[in-house]
Order: sequence, then C-alpha cells, then structure tokens
Amino acid sequence: MTPPSMTNRPALRPGCRLSPASNPESLLLIPEGALRLQGPGRQILELCDGRRTLAEIVEELYRLFPSADASLIAGEAVSFLERLHAKGTVEFL
Amino acid sequence: MITPPRALIAEVTHRCPLHCVYCSNPVQLQAIELPTDSWARVISDAAALGCWHLHLTGGEPLARRDIEELAQTGHDAGLYVNLITSGVGLSAGRLQRLVEAGLDHIQLSFQDSREAPANVFAGARAHAHKLEVAARIREHRVAFTVNLVVHRGNLDHLNELIGLAEDLQADRLEIAHVQYYGYAVENRDRLLPTRSQLEASIAIVEKARERLEGKMRIDFVLPDYYARFPKACMGGWGQGLILVDPAGRAMPCHAAGVIPGMSFDSVEEHSLARIWEYSGAFTRFRGDEWMREPCRSCERKAIDFGGCRCQAMILAGDAAATDPVCTKSPQRSLVDAIVDRVNREPAVTEAGDWVYRIGPSNKVPTC
Repeated sequence: MTPPSMTNRPALRPGCRLSPASNPESLLLIPEGALRLQGPGRQILELCDGRRTLAEIVEELYRLFPSADASLIAGEAVSFLERLHAKGTVEFL
Repeated sequence: MITPPRALIAEVTHRCPLHCVYCSNPVQLQAIELPTDSWARVISDAAALGCWHLHLTGGEPLARRDIEELAQTGHDAGLYVNLITSGVGLSAGRLQRLVEAGLDHIQLSFQDSREAPANVFAGARAHAHKLEVAARIREHRVAFTVNLVVHRGNLDHLNELIGLAEDLQADRLEIAHVQYYGYAVENRDRLLPTRSQLEASIAIVEKARERLEGKMRIDFVLPDYYARFPKACMGGWGQGLILVDPAGRAMPCHAAGVIPGMSFDSVEEHSLARIWEYSGAFTRFRGDEWMREPCRSCERKAIDFGGCRCQAMILAGDAAATDPVCTKSPQRSLVDAIVDRVNREPAVTEAGDWVYRIGPSNKVPTC
C-alpha cells in the first residue's frame, strides 16, 4: 500500500477498541482477538479519533513525550499505525 | 496458577431456523435453556475471571428474546461482545437495540454465493433475507464479518463468495472448511473436498488476501483431514476458552459431549472460576499429563497439544489417542481411507441425500 500522508485522519476500524482503562492489561480488542499494547501504543490510539490528522497526532505526541527524539516519534507512530492498518484494525480517513 | 479463559462462548440456545448440513452443534440438541438472570450472572463472572470476549452464539442466538439484554450485560462488564448469527430474526429494530447495547461485532453466515444451493445447504429459504440483513448491518458502526463454511458443494464458487463479502463491505471474512463434528460427520462423504479443490481454494485465498490487504481481513481454516499435523484445537484443552451450553453445562469445547465419561458441571451449581480451575471436564485433558506416545515425547506437543480430543474420539473411538489426522498417529490410516475414497469417487449429491440438523422443536425442512 501507499504510505499514509500527514493529512490523513487515522481511526480505529469499526469493532476495534481499547480495553476499558480499568483492565489490568492494555489491549486493543478486535474481532476474534486482542493485541497487547506496549510503550506509547495506547496513547497513540487514543489520539486516533478520525478527526485529528496524522500531523496533529505527531504534534500531540511531542507534547506527551517531550524528552523523546522528535524524528523518532513521528517515524515510530507512523509505522505502528501502518502495521495496524495491515492487520485491518486502523483506517486512514 | 492457571491462566484465565479469554473468551466465554455462550451457546444461549440450540433453537435455530436453519438446518445446516454441517452444523457443529451436538447431534443431541439441548432443549432446556437457562433463564436471563442466570446468563447475566455467568457473563459477569466471565469478565471477573479475566475473559476479554463474549461470543453470543447458538443455535440462533436471536431466537432468545433477551439477547439485547445479555449483550448489554456483557458490554457493561467490559467484555467485547460478538454476535454469531444466521441473520434470521435480525430486524432493523433489534439491530439498533443491539448496537445501542454495545455490540462490537456481528458475524453473519452465508451458505453459498448462489441462492438455490445456499438454501439447500441451510435447509431453509434464508439466503435472500441474509442479503437484506447484511445491508442493514453496514448502516451501523460495528465490525462485520462474513462467515463462509466451505465444502465440496460450494468450494467451486469461492471466488464468487469472496466477491459477495466484498460487495457486502465486510470488514473481515472468515472462510472455514467444514470441520467434522456434529452433523458434518453424518454428511462427511458429501462435504469433504477433493484434493484439487482444496489446493485451488488455498491459491484463491492467497491471492485475495494480497489484493484486499488493509481492506478486508481474511481468516482461513483448512480441513485438517488433509493436514500433516493436527490443529491446536481450542488453543489447548481448558487453556483459553470456556463454553456454556443452553442448559448451563460448562464445557471445554462444543463437541466435548461426544467423549464418554465426561461430566459437565452446571453454572447453576458452581461459580465459573471454580469450574475453570477444578471441574473434571476441564482438568481431564489440560496440560500433557494425559498424553501417551507418540504425543508424550513429541516436540510438537506444546504447539498442537495432541490435536483434538473429540476428533480422536470420533475417528479412533479413544479420546486420549493422538488425533488421527496427525501423520505420526498410528491411526492415520483411518483418515487416509476417508480422503482416498472421496478423491477416487466423489459422490454426486442430490438434494435429498443430506442429513439435516433437526430440533429441538423443529420440523423436518421442506427445502
């Protein structure tokens, strides 16, 4: 697939949602399964509301993780979302 | 400490308007059904025990009037709620109420891409109705899976079937070759695909997966009679799934009733947590203590857990035997004989030859 552009608005696909915050584990619940979220995975997905653009999400992440390397954040967030897209759990609106 | 189950399969009823010739429900269907409050307690217990998913299934779960209420209970308990349905009974109003209750995922079955054979396999005139239901589902923001059970009779339409799921805008497509339990055993010689059909189906699915990546996920279940090694049935006995049948009997899988000497504890008498940990039905084949050779010393025993206990019972008459589909099984010849017979002379099946799923409280299908 062509990589998403920074103006795309990522969103979780229907039937894909984060586990309730009360759960001991952080999971992305999907049809017939669940994916364990590590590191900033949960925070990234919480920003994928179909309204924020990818550029805005990256901006937010800079603010959430001020000590992290900015270029690394952008690259990792995009490749994380691309992997989820390939699994059919994220769409780029 | 035993790891908790991750999914509760709530077989809320065995009533069903369809009579599918490969239905995996037990041939002895259960007429007794738990009342709503008992199901609600079981669902809440499952969430407390560590389950992530609730699968509302049957029979046809919509045959129960309280299914919206049970979906709500599951959602409120934090579970991911999945409805596995034929679509019969899914009116616009019920669908709306289910979505409002927090339903996450609907799996809708189709029996063929063409109406006439679809209705023959289902033993009911349901195909046209299913198409309407699919369009209705797509109006809601809920995950939508099209379930296709494939076999010799519809496998030559596989491209069309995939096209149907695309037209219906499914998020996910599950293509499952028939597994031989329940009624499928009765119809096995008519259902088992030929080797060339199987190979063609693998190539078609591979191509479709490539083409549809990111659009529609395709899960594909192969017929294990053709496999070299058995499937890791249920992810291992008593490892991750707990099924409760309509009468409230807790089982490690839907077919476990075929194994003699099993006693299933009732959720009306014991907590789900207690059943999961101690019930004889769950401990009997949990882990590898029960294994004999060649499983006991096999390097794959942690991968496929010796295969399926129910299949060992059905094919070899011994639930503790190595699953006979395994090439290492001394009883593999039982499977080879069936496969050879079907490939040498695939029987031509007339509509009247099928053994249909009947009951409880059903008439013989007229289709």
